[in-house]
Amino acid sequence: MHTLIQEMKNKFSGDDDFFALEETFMDSRVVLAGFNTLLDIATTKLGLQAYIEAAVLTGTARDELKAELGEVCDRSDSAKARLSLLTGKLLICFEDDGSCVIMEPTPKPLNRAIEPPINENVFQGSLNSFTEDIHANIGIVRKQLLTDNLRVGSYHIGTEETTKISLLYYEGRTNMEFIHKLVGQIQKNRSRQIENLQQLSKKIMGFPSWVLISKFSQTELPQEAANFLRKGRAVLFIDRLPIALVVPSLLWDVFFLDSDRNLPLPLMLFLRALRLIGAWLTVVLPGLYVALVSVNPEVLRIEMAISIAQTRVGIPYPAIIEMILMLFILELIIEASIRLPKNIGPTITMVGGIILGQAVVQAKLVSNLLIIILAATTISNSTIVGLQHSLSLRISKYVIVIMAAIYGVLGILEGLLLICAYVASLNTYGIPYIGFSSKKDEIKHG
Amino acid sequence: MDKSWQVTLIYFITHLGLIFFMYPGDIIASTEDGHWIPIVLGFAVHLGAIAVYMKGLVRLGNRDIVSMYLGMGKGVSLLFLLPITVYFLLICVVSVRCLSEIMTVVFLSSTPLWAIMFLFLFISSYIAFKGIRSIFRTGLLIGCINVPVILFFFSASFQNVDWRYVYPLIGKSSFLTNPSYLESFFVFAGGFLFLGFTQPYVAYRKRHIVFGALALLPFFVFSVYIPILTFGQATASTFNFPFVVALDTISITWIMFDRITLFLLLSLISFMMLYLSIVLWSAMRVVNQSFPSLKPAYILLAIPLFVFIVCLYIPDWKDITEFYWWGTYLRFYILVAVPLSTCFFAGRIRKRKVGL
Repeated sequence: MHTLIQEMKNKFSGDDDFFALEETFMDSRVVLAGFNTLLDIATTKLGLQAYIEAAVLTGTARDELKAELGEVCDRSDSAKARLSLLTGKLLICFEDDGSCVIMEPTPKPLNRAIEPPINENVFQGSLNSFTEDIHANIGIVRKQLLTDNLRVGSYHIGTEETTKISLLYYEGRTNMEFIHKLVGQIQKNRSRQIENLQQLSKKIMGFPSWVLISKFSQTELPQEAANFLRKGRAVLFIDRLPIALVVPSLLWDVFFLDSDRNLPLPLMLFLRALRLIGAWLTVVLPGLYVALVSVNPEVLRIEMAISIAQTRVGIPYPAIIEMILMLFILELIIEASIRLPKNIGPTITMVGGIILGQAVVQAKLVSNLLIIILAATTISNSTIVGLQHSLSLRISKYVIVIMAAIYGVLGILEGLLLICAYVASLNTYGIPYIGFSSKKDEIKHG
Repeated sequence: MDKSWQVTLIYFITHLGLIFFMYPGDIIASTEDGHWIPIVLGFAVHLGAIAVYMKGLVRLGNRDIVSMYLGMGKGVSLLFLLPITVYFLLICVVSVRCLSEIMTVVFLSSTPLWAIMFLFLFISSYIAFKGIRSIFRTGLLIGCINVPVILFFFSASFQNVDWRYVYPLIGKSSFLTNPSYLESFFVFAGGFLFLGFTQPYVAYRKRHIVFGALALLPFFVFSVYIPILTFGQATASTFNFPFVVALDTISITWIMFDRITLFLLLSLISFMMLYLSIVLWSAMRVVNQSFPSLKPAYILLAIPLFVFIVCLYIPDWKDITEFYWWGTYLRFYILVAVPLSTCFFAGRIRKRKVGL
């Protein structure tokens, strides 16, 4: 028997879905091998038959037929054969001369269709979103960007378990120095295995792991991804991950959405200003409550100070404990409503509403004002673009709350300064996080 | 890359931070009438120093002044770098101690002094630790947040002014020898030194700095005149921080806060933090380039620690003013010698290059 087939049979002897069928093509014996869970045997065979019949009719030689069927490969290249089988290709081995062909068969339908986005809402924009299949994703981007300047490079990462990643960029608008750096990193570390984005950013890209803000901006909207490409950023796709990773990520991604531009200019500015104010309120409001109640009440007008003090009558602990306690419950509610299936989710909302509503106030555990602050914070936290950004924002407000408890209003301002300094110190291969776009001819397109 | 706007903005906001605390009090104490004369005179000296300094830096090209002094031999570097370093340390000590004193007086009466000083030093060293580019970017962000606040309250501070207090316009020249007037140069010296340190990291067009300086003039003038126009010279001269007190008189009915001073003061303190971080970073550069074996991170730990300990040993306001006064001679030395020597040495280096 063919040596390569024998090797594959040994390799996949424990796999029930592996098949090796003997057939006769144009008077020579061949073995077809593959996984019946990844490819549709019956349709593939029909297709093969059509090829052979056409070849017999036109009198094509066998070597030409091989080239027509797919990629002819050497019998000694077992690693490549193994990878092709695992990615759902059909291996055709000719017994008499020992050559092999890797053919693209009819695949089993294992991908979902292109659907509207789930994690991001679109307001007046295109509704497609990325899916798990990397080819489909690149195809969608190509549909969005009809230009011959879009470059796509694909890499297989890892030796034991292989992950395919693709790098897309817009030639002529992207800073090529940055792209070379990126490609160099991928090439250098291509033998390392990655299973998640943490590993991608640490092992492949060489980013530090203790950062609050991811170096990748994520989006599942093709329209946004295409716009990032136009602005000179690079987009990374990972097979089986239905999101586009935009590098370098910039601060303005948090506030500016491309589909805003489908609205008239004043409305767009209004929306963006709202997001900025939302982010600012999220960070400042809880701290302001703690500072004004416990450290600097004299800053307030006397009427205001008294009415705040009245809402806190009978509450047994300091403002900081009150605040941290309720923020913590709120975080739990948010996390729980993400975890739960859609049909139980509303229960959490309802129960949470009862806790955060009247009950906790009537039980004299927290003040009325705190509930208002808490609600305002949560709402404003959700105004910014992208869930991972709102997570960073959620964490940073604790810095301010703690500093406000110690230093009052001074603590808030200094905490803001600290956060600003942190944000300002971030950069991706020398491209600052708070810059407007990636270095080169950016102002024009940004 | 051209960072002229960032550098100008930093220059502008660090000076804003410096102006409003000590400067009005010093000027008001130095003379009884015609305050604009000492202000304009001081400002002219500042502008002249900057112009000479910028000329030198243009000649110097893509180097910082530390490497220039070090290249001139041991004697020269000792003559200039030692005073600069001592002056930086002095600035740190005085500013940190002074600001924390103001904080306790104005609104943190129950917080211990060391905690406030620790906060200031921690934040400024954290920013300094991130490097000069990061300092500039932080300045950009914090400027976007705080400059509107400052401009708003600054314009609101005209609420209670009585313009008749401007007169008499012409005063005596006796202020020249007044110690308070000499102390007021704290604002003019020191704030501009960092411009010579940024060079290999951040390039900028030198002309922009002069525009930035001109934009500061109204703030110099009105920081002194607002207390005078509000209270009159006789009353204003009794306050330690006349501008802060003048702000306290403002009432804006539609704001839910009673003391809006707080917000102006705190925004200014953010700027002072930036200023401190630049000073710390510059001091680190001097030490690091003179002794390359020391790691920058250790230096940036050691300097704030030293400043913190010195600050702890200053017991009260009287000693701060004494400390402040000690720095006067050094201040004038820096204000005159550094720009002139930069211009001179840079010219010599350039000639030597042309000669080769």
